[in-house]
Parts: sequence; structure tokens; C-alpha cells
Amino acid sequence: MPSASTSVLHFSGHQHLRYRLVLSIISGKPVKIDKIRSDDKNPGLRDYEVSLLRLLERVTNGTIIEISVTGTTILLKPGIIAGGPIAHECPLSRSIGYFLEPIIMLAPFAKKPLNLTIRGITSDDQDLSVDLMRTVTLPHLQLFGVSEGLELRIKKRGSSPGGGGEVQFLCPVVKQVKTVNFVDNGRIKRIRGIAHAVRVSPQFSNRMIEASRSVLNRYIPDIYLYSDVYKGEDSGKSPGYALSLLAESTTGAIHCAEAVSKPGVTPEDIALLASRALLKEVSRGGCIDRKHQTLALLWMVLGSEDVGRVRMGEPSPRTIQFLRDVRDFFGTSFKIVPADKSDPDCSELLFSCYGTGYVNANRSLA
Amino acid sequence: MSNETRLVFTSPLINRTPDDEPPPVIVAIVGPPGVGKTTLLKSMIRRYTKQTLNEAKGPITVVSGKKKRITFIECNNDMNSMIDVGKVADLVLLMIDGSYGFEMETFEFLNILQSHGFPKVIGVLTHLDLIKKAAILRDTKKALKKRFWTEIYQGAKLFYLSGVLNGRYPDSEILNLSRFISVMKFRPLVFRNSHPYLLADRIEDLTPREQVRESKGKCDRTVTLYGYLRGTNLRMGTKVHVPGVGDLEMKTVTKLGDPCPLPDADSEKRRKLSEKKKLLIHAPMSDVGGVIYDKDAVYINVPGSFTRGNADVPQGEGERMVMDLQDVNATLEDGVARSQIRLFGSSSRPLAVDPGPSRQHAFQDDSGSEDDEDDDEGEDSEDEGFEGSDDEEEEGSDVELDEDELSEPEGDDEDVNDRGRSAPRVVRRATHDTKSNHDRQTKDVEYAESDSDLGEEDEDEDEPVGRRVRFGNEHDVDIQSDEDEEDISGGEEAPRWKANLGAKALEAYHQHSQRNKRKDWISLIYNSSLTPEQILNDSESNSSNLNEMDDDFFTVKSRSGAIGEDEEKDMTKEPLNEEELKQWEDEELLDSIRNLFITGSSSDAQPAADGDYEDLEGDADFEDLEANGAEDASSQPADPETARATALAAKKEALKRKFDEQYDDPESSKLDFYEEKKEEMARQLLLNRAEFEDVDEEARALVEGYRPGTYVRVELVNVPCEMIENFDPTYPLILGGVLPAEERFGYLQVRIKRHRWFTKTLKTNDPLIFSLGWRRFQSIPIYSLDDHSIRMRMLKYTPEHMHCYATFYGPVALPNTGFCAFNSLADNAPGFRVSATGVVLDIDRSTKIVKKIKLTGVPYKIFKNTAFIKDMFNSALEVAKFEGANIRTVSGIRGQIKKALAKPEGSFRATFEDKVLMSDIVFLRAWHSIPPRKFYNPITSLLLSEKGSWSGMRLTGQVRRDEGLKAPLDVNSTYKKIERAPRRFNTLKIPKKLQAELPYASKPKLMKPQNRQTYMQKRAVVLEPEEKKAIALLQQIRALRKDQVVKRKEKQNERKEVHRQKVAREEAKKTEKDKEKRKEYMRAAGMKTKRDNEKEEGRSSKRRKKD
Repeated sequence: MPSASTSVLHFSGHQHLRYRLVLSIISGKPVKIDKIRSDDKNPGLRDYEVSLLRLLERVTNGTIIEISVTGTTILLKPGIIAGGPIAHECPLSRSIGYFLEPIIMLAPFAKKPLNLTIRGITSDDQDLSVDLMRTVTLPHLQLFGVSEGLELRIKKRGSSPGGGGEVQFLCPVVKQVKTVNFVDNGRIKRIRGIAHAVRVSPQFSNRMIEASRSVLNRYIPDIYLYSDVYKGEDSGKSPGYALSLLAESTTGAIHCAEAVSKPGVTPEDIALLASRALLKEVSRGGCIDRKHQTLALLWMVLGSEDVGRVRMGEPSPRTIQFLRDVRDFFGTSFKIVPADKSDPDCSELLFSCYGTGYVNANRSLA
Repeated sequence: MSNETRLVFTSPLINRTPDDEPPPVIVAIVGPPGVGKTTLLKSMIRRYTKQTLNEAKGPITVVSGKKKRITFIECNNDMNSMIDVGKVADLVLLMIDGSYGFEMETFEFLNILQSHGFPKVIGVLTHLDLIKKAAILRDTKKALKKRFWTEIYQGAKLFYLSGVLNGRYPDSEILNLSRFISVMKFRPLVFRNSHPYLLADRIEDLTPREQVRESKGKCDRTVTLYGYLRGTNLRMGTKVHVPGVGDLEMKTVTKLGDPCPLPDADSEKRRKLSEKKKLLIHAPMSDVGGVIYDKDAVYINVPGSFTRGNADVPQGEGERMVMDLQDVNATLEDGVARSQIRLFGSSSRPLAVDPGPSRQHAFQDDSGSEDDEDDDEGEDSEDEGFEGSDDEEEEGSDVELDEDELSEPEGDDEDVNDRGRSAPRVVRRATHDTKSNHDRQTKDVEYAESDSDLGEEDEDEDEPVGRRVRFGNEHDVDIQSDEDEEDISGGEEAPRWKANLGAKALEAYHQHSQRNKRKDWISLIYNSSLTPEQILNDSESNSSNLNEMDDDFFTVKSRSGAIGEDEEKDMTKEPLNEEELKQWEDEELLDSIRNLFITGSSSDAQPAADGDYEDLEGDADFEDLEANGAEDASSQPADPETARATALAAKKEALKRKFDEQYDDPESSKLDFYEEKKEEMARQLLLNRAEFEDVDEEARALVEGYRPGTYVRVELVNVPCEMIENFDPTYPLILGGVLPAEERFGYLQVRIKRHRWFTKTLKTNDPLIFSLGWRRFQSIPIYSLDDHSIRMRMLKYTPEHMHCYATFYGPVALPNTGFCAFNSLADNAPGFRVSATGVVLDIDRSTKIVKKIKLTGVPYKIFKNTAFIKDMFNSALEVAKFEGANIRTVSGIRGQIKKALAKPEGSFRATFEDKVLMSDIVFLRAWHSIPPRKFYNPITSLLLSEKGSWSGMRLTGQVRRDEGLKAPLDVNSTYKKIERAPRRFNTLKIPKKLQAELPYASKPKLMKPQNRQTYMQKRAVVLEPEEKKAIALLQQIRALRKDQVVKRKEKQNERKEVHRQKVAREEAKKTEKDKEKRKEYMRAAGMKTKRDNEKEEGRSSKRRKKD
């Protein structure tokens, strides 16, 4: 038997669990992750991690997940990515973003177009809110040629802690992602935003818009901040509000930021926080949003056997670890050089790599 | 067919083979045995190299033109070889015996080609001299051509080779053929364009001899394969598959110097007239004049079995030397330590050995004193084996090898200095390993200069292949890395690098100064063990971090835990730090990023994005790229003057383009889809080249792998020992790269069609041999058909003249990969061996093939529409599983299972749409899923001593025949006489009341038989005597009449018979005449068409001549 049992990759710790699982499923290499909170008072996997594993198992066919008795070690033997209609109920400990982010990385390589209905908290302060997913993540996918039939419908909103939101994610299947060459970040030409408030006074969203404009108006006139109000059944079980902002450049580079309501903070403060975070994000530069670095890098690696290049700001710690893990899974390392050699204090970097020529083998012809 | 008129509907394929130095084209010579393959091969080699090979084995690479090389490979008649060759050949010379016609192998091979992507094929007709008569020859040619064209395409090239002269085909014909080959254009094939592969032209066993000896040759081997890379880039970490051996792991890949390099301007200049005729040939597996040589080794074929004590076999100098080499029982270091080398004859003290780098100097001038001691001699020659200095020719005493042949090819790719010498070679500086590069000062004779070198080549040293003995006298010519090449080119083109020395220095300074501020991200991320946070926080703190690490001998273990839960979470968003964001209240800071918005003033930091941001992305990239390149080359135009000038030029360029776009003919500038795609591809290829241009070779290989066209050495580990033991160079050895997806196993669903020439049908669950991707393996397919898009329904046999699906377990191949299947690959298998062809549709981890199963039961109690059914299930549990299922009786009454009954076990209550009969059989139609068997048996033909004798899983019938077993007979399945009791039906009874209401016509008219005699019956009849007489007379008359009629009929028959005979005679005469007539007509018509054809042909040939 020609090495049916390929060598299992070993990782430790609960950090970076999500994309390690994603990398494993995409590359087809089994992964073993141990020491998951082994020193913690409450060792082992959390409920949301177990839920994620369950979701991954449902999205794939033939995946074998073994969890040790203590829950501190998992072994994932990936199957193929199946796709199709799936429904998932998220625990209230994490928002929908936590689950949707890894799924988005996988979905275009499935056998059938994915139609995922997912219920839970739609926005919180840890993961991307569904608004940003819809307005920022999906345009990032379009860079890689995943566009036709790509949709994220926010059917219901649900704030923490009660949840009750529902989104539907539709993703087409591609044969191969396009090689990107995105080195011109252009200049910001418009700013958009969504302010939403559920189960609170609809005036809140207007107040947020007002405050945000006070910061951003100085730069550009083309600012539209939408007030998005969901009522009744569609507004979930808990009150909350948030402001998501995105800045789009002339070449289509998008940067985003958002802030979510906290108890005892006025909507104005939330808006200021979001606006300033956006400015900070913009000042970092690059063509890819900081929160989407991993997504872009992963798909660059999966591109055809050509050189893909992307200009980005400084990598986040997650990205750095991700780069290391990508090398373990695919053997691909990036060339990272300062984007502007002549400018000594340019913090932007040019990431280039040679794609692995990953072809979606799951896609069927029949 | 001209290219212009052809419509292109598909998007173009990317050709990943580089244009500047492509790998040699593989030309395979294929045909049935005895057709003249070897003769053709030798003729071709002769044509290209002016050399005659005694024995041509394995791939032979020759230079065929300025930009072209050819690797010839002869394919033997083994099916496995044909499959493998078909997968790698770029051009096939398909040999056909003209005196015999097509043979089965030819058609089989063509079918294999078809399913794996069709390379170019040229037919070659041989043995035409055996046909003496010109007319027959012409007819044969025509007939064969017609068949060949239908098999390949109309107008396919077919060559005619007449007789054999001097063991070769006529030179003019070969020249013609070689011209056709040289102008051949090759279309990229999808599979080869997505996989790296290599046709090994040399194989070495690197396993330590001791290990082999200890395990009696049964240990797994470490093997190196050499060859030109083809297809896509070969990267480390990819699995490789060697067809006939299995999946193997690459340990290392090394780029070697090209053993058969293309001539460049420089080498042409230095080529001497005497050398003109000796052109390059690279054929390590072939035997050239008793000595097999290649770039890094010389092999001497030793007659008979080479055993050490064998004194009666005459031993030449070479053999003796080799044996001396083997006699070594001390290491080099010992030898060196013991050696008493005096620098001069008059020296009083031998040189002392200093075990340091200065040792080299001690060795540099010892050629004079070398032959002092025999012992030493042995040592030294061993050194030569390790370190490739060319002193063997210089000394002249070591080996008298065929110097011409030895030195000639070496000279070609090595240092250009010693080309075309006729005298003994001038000692020159050996090209050397990169690592020891720096510590060489002289160009004199050198020996192993460091132990590390020794260690490396040591592996190579002890690798006997078969009975070959080898002394790698020029090993590192091959190892020659690019640094060497750079060295050489640098030396020649000194002015160029000198030219911008200043610029380089400036750049270096810049980089150096920047390094202080800037992080080297690549090494920080990939080569350091710092945590991401550490990398980001500061490089300055790294040093302090290190200190900390040293200090923290005892670290608080739960420190990270103390930071808190939130910190540790796997979050996408970084927490918003309010304090940090407060700084954005600062006006200055807010204004500082104004230039990032379109409303802000354009700063000179971004000139490119200024005016033409609506430009195409690609264009922008290109500008950027060029800008970068320019910067690199000319060390940044520092003064603003030039910067402005360039910016202006760029702007002008953009404006010009815009103008051109607007005012030029829009139609002409608009490209069609195909052209557009092609352009895009070209641009991307250019970018691929440019991106890693400045990176050094080694790093580039890490990032993008080894490019096709390079000559590489691939080290494979854990190779089965049989591959080496039973190695036969006449069987092609291929190394195919496997995509990550193809390493895995799963169920493959394929569309398959039984080949129309394969005589038997294929049966589900019979093992079948697949040739899919690089692999050849046996698996067990299940055939199926799509049943109204509802289910995949199993088929017992493949349908006639129709595609069906097959599903089997095996290594995954990408959808749309073609394959062909065989029942047997043995040579003696009768008939056409390709049993099916098809294409992969889908891969999955589970299958959904079902077959129909009918469960039957019988009613044992019947109410109105309800019945109790038994004998369908065995337990109430089973019934529960099928509750609500539809059932049916044989007579067509539909029903439903309701609920299990307590007794008897397994019986249930069912309702029907009508009352069923006790005699009815009730059945339930169900679908039973059948997964294919998880059977995968790779064909390891190269591991066998007799390559054709591979046998896999046998059919059940074969096993029974071999074992002498009879098919098991189930008693229940035997045919028995069915005894059916006659059925008695009850009489139809119509109730009185109903009868009364019926109309008369419908009333049953059954009356009781009369039980009393009628009046007439009661009366007796008595005849009168006259009446009696009359009756008797009448009877007699009737009898007479009957007799008369019979007689008359007989007479009539006799007459008719005569007539019939007469008619038949006439009929026969008539048909004879008719036949004659038709024949006459057909003859005339045939002549006419023949004349027409000839006329036609004559015209076309004339036209061709005119063209």
C-alpha cells in the first residue's frame, strides 16, 4: 500500500485551532493537536470548538475526528469537502463569525455548492460580524474568482448574549482559485458603513452615524452609513447595536473596522471607536484587510502554479503563525519583502509565493 | 489543415515548459518485435552523433539542433512498457511491418495513447523490401496508409523505410525522418502539464554495502535517479510514483550540470573542426564500446562474473585498479597520515599532516612523489574517486581508457578551456563543490580537501550496480552548482558585473543600513523560533528576550494562563484598545493619513496610483515590476531630477496609450477570447520568471521547485531491493510527481466503455487492471447505470456499445483524467488486451450504488382489505424498520406494511387496496447498497525478474480452474421438475335473486341434462330388406369412387413432378446467366473507379509537388 497513512502533522495548544483544521481538510493531511488547555482548570475543548468540529464533520464526507477522553487531544483525518445544504446551530459562547470564517475558506473547494444556514449570535467583539463578512470578506473572495452565486443573507440578527440570529451562506464551487496580483493599494475613494440596532431605540443607529461622520467627514465626502433596523422576530433575543465601517480604495482594496455595543457605553463612543479603528486600519496600508490576511494568503498558496503577489500591512500574530503552519502543510513559503524599497519607513510588505496548483478534486463531472 | 482556419473553442493551455532551455523531446520508438526498432534507433543515433552504438538500452539523449535535444527511447513489446512510454513520449515513431501489416500491439498502443492524451505519432513502415512486386508494394502502402489514417487522423505522417544497408536504414531516408522530427511542434497535454515527471536515464544504488551484505541484499535501498525534469516544477515534499514500483518518498533533489547541454555561442566558437563530427550523446544505460561513461563516472564492463579471487580471467589495468580501490582498508585520513610525501626528492623530512584546513597545501604538489609507494598509490586513486580532479589522464599510469571517448564528452560541459585537445589533457582546475570553493587557491592537482567532502561522495562511491564497477573520477562536475556557473560566466563577462559595481555597493549599503531598522521577515518567520508576538513586538527586544530566556531558568509555568481567558481566545478581531485609539484624536495624526484618500494631495510617495487608477490591474503590476527591476539594476535614481523625468515618461506613455486606444481602429486592437487568454498567460509566465530572478538558486528551488529542463538527481528512500536486483534498462523507468490530492485513497466513479474489440463482457466484481494517471493497479469495479436520476443501479455486466459507470477503490485521480483498463497484461493473453477505456468523473469517500432486492411473504389470514403476512421478516424489529413501506402482490394489488404482529415472529399486518387471495405472493421491493471492495493492488512489474510475468488477483473461474475445483452447487438452486397439482375451480354460482334480475341474454343457460328418454329415443328402428340392399349398394359405389379418385391424384402428381423438374432446370440456367452478367458489369465499374482514383492521385501528387 503506497503510504495511505501519510504522516500526521502535530500541533499543540488550542490557539490557531480553526485554521489548522482548515489547512488539514484542504491539504488532506491528518492533523493531531494536543495539549489543548491541558494546564487549565477546565481542560479540553470548549463547547464552541466541539461545535466547530461537528460543523466541519458535516461539511465534509469521510472525516474521522477522534477526541481523547479528557478532550485535550484531537486527531482529525480529513475526508473530502462535500458541501450541499447544511444547517448548524452555534453555541452562544461565540458568534457566527467564528464558525463561518473557516467554512468560507473551505467552501469553494467543495463537491457541491454550499448552502449553510447558521444560527446564533450575529456580531460580537471577537470575530467578524456578519455585516463585515458580507461587505468585506465576500469582495475579498471575488479577487480569487469566487463570485457567481456567492451570497450571505442576514435573515435575523441576534446580539449577545441571547443570540437568535440567522444567516444563510451560499457559496459556489470553483475548479481553481485565480492567481492574484494585487500590489497597488490605490487611495481610499469611499467609505461605507452599517449601523444596526436591535431591541433598542432605532435612534441609536442614527446617533452612531452622526458620531462617526464627525471623525470621517474631514477626509472624504463619499460616506454613506446605513442604518439597518431589524424588527420583531428578526431582531433576535437580546438588545444590542454595532457599527461596521469599511473603506474602499480606487483599486478595490477594502479595509474595515467595527465596534460592538458594550454595557454602559454610549453609541457615540462606540462609533468613535469604530471610526478610529478604521483610520488605524487604513493607515496600516496594504491591499488586504488585516483581518483577512490569512484568507488571502491561504488562497494564494492554493492558486495555480504561478506567482501570486499581494501587498499587505504588517502581518498580525495570527498571520505569522499561519504562515508557518502553511509551510508545514503545503511546503510553500512566502517571499516577504518591503513593498517600497526606496522608502525606508514603509511598513507595507509584499508577499509573493508560488502557488501549489491546487485543483478542486472534489468537484464532480457527472 | 491550417491554423488560421481552425476554429478554437477551448481556452488555451498553459505551456509550463520553459522556452529558453526546454527538456529534450522524448521520441519513443514503438512496434511489435522484429519490426526494426533497434535498427531505426541506431540509425537515428548515427544520424545525430556520427557514432554507432553496439547496444542501445535505456534513454539516449542527443543534441539535434541549436535549441533542441532529443531523448530516444525504444519501447519493448511488454504491455507495461507500452503504457509507461505512452504516458511520457512527446513523439511516437510507430513502426509497422509493411510486409505483414498492422499487428494487435499497434492498435493496443494507439488505444493506450488515446486514453492518456494523444502525443504526436509518426508511422514508420519497414520491411518494404520484402515485397518484390511494385504493384503489390503500391497497394500495400495504400492500404496501410488508409488504415493508419483512420486510426490517427486523415493526413497523419507515414514514413516508408526501404531496406537495411550496413545494419542501418538508408541515410537519406533517416535524414528525411530526422527533419520531420525537428520541425515537429508539440501541443501541451493536460495531464503532463500539471504533473512533474522525469524519464530516468541513470539509476544508482546508494545503500551502504554493509547494510546490503548484512541483510543478504534484502534491505530497502536508497536509490538515486537521474534525468531531465519535464512537465511542471518539481518541488520538494511532493510524493512521487514510479510506475511498476510504487509510491516513493523523495529525500533530496539536486540540480546537476547538464550532461548534454545545448550548444551556445561560446561553445560553438571553441569547437574544433575535429570535434565537429563528434556530437554529444548521453546514454548512461547503453553500452558504448565496453566503457559506459557519463558526466560523473566511468563504468567498465567486466567480462564474466567479477569476483575478486578470480585470477584466471584476464584482468586489464582498469580492473586491477578497481580491485585496488576495493582493497583499501584504511580511511583516507589514515592513509594521509601514514604517507611519507616529500616535497622534493632531496627533502629530508616527509610532509607532516596537519589536520586542519591547511592540509590542502601539503597535497598540492605531490604528483612527482606519488608513485613512491604502492600503498599510497591505492589511496590516491581512491581520492580521485572522491574528488574529481582529472589527474588520471595526467598521470597516465592509472588507467588507459579509451581516451577519446572519455574525454570528449567531459570537455563539453565542463570548463571551456580544454575543448578539442588531442594531446593528454591539460590539468585544469576542477570544478568543485560549492562549500569548499573558498579554500582553494591554486588550480593544481587536488585531492579530497575536507572530510565533509569525503563523506558526501562516500555514498556515491560504494554503489555497485549490477556488475558494474565505477570510479567516479569526475563526480563533482555534476554536482557543479550554479555558483560554479556563475563563476565561470562572471569570469568571462567581467565587464558587466564590474560595470555597476558601484551601484551594487550602494545598494548593499542601503540594504545593510535598512536592515538595522527593518526586519528580515522571511527569516524571522521561517527560520526563528520566536513567537509571533515576539516577532511583532520588536526586533530590538529580541536580544533582551534571549537574555530573558537564559535567565528564566525557572519560569512560572502558568503565566500565560494568568493573563486571562480572553487573551487566549482564537479571535479574528483584535480587541479594540481604547487608550491606543485615543491618539487618533490628535489632529496632526489625523492629517498625516490624508494622502491615503483621493481627496488628499498626491504625495510623491505614490506616483503610480495618481493619474491612472482605472488602469488594468495587470498593467499596474507591470509598471511596478519594471520599476522595481530598474531600481535593482541601477541602485535607485537618487536625484529627484531623474525621478521626475521617469514619472513624466510614464505619464506620457499612459497618455499615448489612451490616445491610441481611442483613435486606433477599435476592432484591430480588440483581441478575441483566445488571444486575450494567451496574452494573459504570457504575462503571468513572465512574472513567474521575474519574481524570483534575483533569489539564489537554492532558495528559488525551495520556493518554486526545480524547473522543467533541468537535469536533476533525485534520491529516493525505502525503495524495494528488487528494483535494483532486477533492474533492466530496456524497461523504461519513470518518476512521476503526484499531486497532493492524488496521494489519497477513495472511491473513484468513472465513465467506462468496454472496448469494442474486446471479446468478453466485463463483470461486476471481477478484478480489472487500470492505468490511471501515472499508476497501474488492479482494483475491483462495480458497474452501474443511472436509474432515472434517482439511484445508481448496479449492473452485473457492462452494456454493449454503451457507456456505463464504474466505481472502484483506489488512489484518487483528478476528475477528467482518462484511463484504460485491461483484464490481463500478459504477453500470451489472446486477442485484444485493452478491455475498456474511460474518464474519471468523481471521487468520494462513500458510494451510493444499489441493487434491487425483493422480500417475499405470503398471507396467512385475510380480512377485507387487511391481511396478515408472514415469512417476509424474521423479527418484529425488522418489521419496525419497514413500517409504512409499500408492498405489492403478484397480481398487482398495492398495499402498505402497518405493524408487526406478536405471533408468529416476523409477521405483520398489512393493508391493501383490495382483498388479496391466500394464493397471492406479497413482495416488498427494496434497494440494497453495495460498496465496492476496498481492493487495491499496484502492479509492481519492475520488481520482477521476469517483467512480463506479473499476476494479480485472479478471477474466481481462473482460481477454480487452477485449483481443479468445481463451482459450488446450491441445492436450492438446482432445477427440479415442478409438480403442480391440477387446480380445481369452484363452480360459478349466481344467486337466485340476482339471476332473476339479469336480462335473458346474461342469464346462465345451464340446464340439467335430461334424465328421462325422449319419445324418439324410446322407439326402435327396423330396416326393410330392400332398404338394406340399397344401403349396401350405395356403400360399394362410394368405395369404388374413392379408389378412383386416389388413382387419379397419383397420376396427376407424377405429371406435376416432371413439370417441376423442367422449371427448376430452366431457373438454374437463368441465374447462371444473371451472375455472369453482374460480374461483367462489376468488373467494368471497378476498372472505372480505379482509373478515376489514379487520375485523382496523380493530380494531387502533382499539386503537392507544385507546393
